[in-house]
Amino acid sequence: MENSSSNLSSLPEEDSQNGGTAAQSASKSPSAFSSKPDRPPIQAPSQKYAPLDWSDYFDQEDDVHIPDSENVFHFYKAGNEGPVVLCLHGGGYSGLSFALSAKLIKEKARVVALDLRGHGKSSTENDLDLSIETLCNDVVAVVKTMYGDSPPAIVMVGHSMGGALAVHIAAKKVLPSLAALVVVDVVEGTAMASLIHMQQILSNRMQHFSSIEKAIEWNIKGGSLRNVDSARVSIPSTLIYDDSRKCYTHRARLVETEQYWRGWYEGLSQKFLASPVPKLLLLAGTDRLDKTLTIGQMQGKFQMVVVRHTGHAIQEDVPDEFANMILNFISHNRIGPHGVVIPGLRRPSQ
Amino acid sequence: MPGHGDLDRQIEQLMECKPLSEAEVKILCDQARAILVEEWNVQPVKCPVTVCGDIHGQFYDLIELFRIGGNAPDTNYLFMGDYVDRGYYSVETVTLLVALKVRYRDRITILRGNHESRQITQVYGFYDECLRKYGNANVWKFFTDLFDYLPLTALIESQVFCLHGGLSPSLDTLDNIRALDRIQEVPHEGPMCDLLWSDPDDRCGWGISPRGAGYTFGQDIAAQFNHTNGLTLISRAHQLVMEGFNWCQEKNVVTVFSAPNYCYRCGNMAAILEIGENMEQNFLQFDPAPRQIEPDTTRKTPDYFL
Repeated sequence: MENSSSNLSSLPEEDSQNGGTAAQSASKSPSAFSSKPDRPPIQAPSQKYAPLDWSDYFDQEDDVHIPDSENVFHFYKAGNEGPVVLCLHGGGYSGLSFALSAKLIKEKARVVALDLRGHGKSSTENDLDLSIETLCNDVVAVVKTMYGDSPPAIVMVGHSMGGALAVHIAAKKVLPSLAALVVVDVVEGTAMASLIHMQQILSNRMQHFSSIEKAIEWNIKGGSLRNVDSARVSIPSTLIYDDSRKCYTHRARLVETEQYWRGWYEGLSQKFLASPVPKLLLLAGTDRLDKTLTIGQMQGKFQMVVVRHTGHAIQEDVPDEFANMILNFISHNRIGPHGVVIPGLRRPSQ
Repeated sequence: MPGHGDLDRQIEQLMECKPLSEAEVKILCDQARAILVEEWNVQPVKCPVTVCGDIHGQFYDLIELFRIGGNAPDTNYLFMGDYVDRGYYSVETVTLLVALKVRYRDRITILRGNHESRQITQVYGFYDECLRKYGNANVWKFFTDLFDYLPLTALIESQVFCLHGGLSPSLDTLDNIRALDRIQEVPHEGPMCDLLWSDPDDRCGWGISPRGAGYTFGQDIAAQFNHTNGLTLISRAHQLVMEGFNWCQEKNVVTVFSAPNYCYRCGNMAAILEIGENMEQNFLQFDPAPRQIEPDTTRKTPDYFL
């Protein structure tokens, strides 16, 4: 279960955060069709933290327009065979949080990494409505629009807020081809307990960056991301250029979404256990299980892997190990492009 | 041969939850290895014996278990693995059980659980506890090297088959199990892994285990295995059951779990299974031991957002 860890550089553990916001920012969201944020004033080049393009990791980027709405969701795709690994990023991240792992997963599966509402290059009627209901509806609408009535087998992978989202979607039983669920480093008990700190954590964050390189450097040096290459590809998509201030700021306005946070995590453990598909919980630390999940784990109801030497964004910090765990999980549960294929074995779910 | 003075003193010390020195642990593990290497993959056990499930470093609950079930060697014990990890006293717990094994080899049987492994103990606490209590990993190495020698299963009076996890699709008979080469780290897959990881299930046949290791097996599988091998019961641990024991599969299988309030948070009862001189079965349930405040494992607030 343990796999070789990444040979990419890492930094010592520190108390720092991921995601971001800029409450003061008055800037608008980019259109769904904008490619990259506008260029900043010329900076001294800093090769070490220079942005990397998504195209080194994904095969394709595209937008999906949800019918009868103004909502346009951006996504990245990679791979041509196997089940669809649908990746949902955490609050303040973007689909490119899965870039490095996608490059490995795509050898045996099709990766689709969305930019969720209010994040990355997606644009919606109300980017601040991050209620769990709306987020769930968004993802379901995206899947329906992309695949119509005959969707392929879907392995839904969610990190942090995206992990909570994946569990809520699974609980709604609205994705008939859902074949498996992977939740990355989020547990109801500990998430709820940490919510009271979150406004402070968000407000302590650096809000403005003179360049994209500076933002990448800040995330690495602050310890919220430990893999420089991943930060170089993922961080640019979490920023927008603020014309009035002539600097970059966080794309996702998380501070303004506090009313929705509890809704993301409430009931998560029960819903996770109740989902009948094979489940994998990846944790970046041992003791983050709450009572419900401790019992569930000790009754053998899901697979849990504690990944060592990684921060919260496991898929970014140790992408090789992460990709291997996803592929092993898919193969162990015999999930093919059209669902579970089990010669001589029945499906383990009810 | 010297007398048992040293060992008796060590057991007395361990019963007070005071760990042995590193040098003492090394000698103890050497002695234990010499005993375990002579035991079988399917270790024969005589009745009466009291069968116990997971302990997981909950030392004071193990003491409570002995209070309920009787002290060794007055009561014979068969432990079905998972002595370490999760609880705060894995070192004291496993040292005590190994010391009892060395002192009373015919009255104590200790099987291997899936946590008696180098890889698992590095994630779930035993390794870190050894570092904390001894300042180095030597004691962890002595024990994990010893774990390779633990028997995989036991057989009480040719009738009750005991093991940590469950059955394997590669093992139809006890003789299949006897033929395994067990002296190794628990593999990620294969028959030896299955014995330590599998779970019974409500559905028939073999299933993919949601745990990611081992299999699930249905009542048909258990009934066939018992019939083939002339058994009356499979007794196993590995799964938390809220009452401490749980019959399933038309009484072909029973689960025994002996860590009350598992992980100091689950609120479950514990149980042990007494098997008497005439093979009669009696379950004893128990609650967590009254305890002093457990050491505070300060949990870092996760930096997750969101």
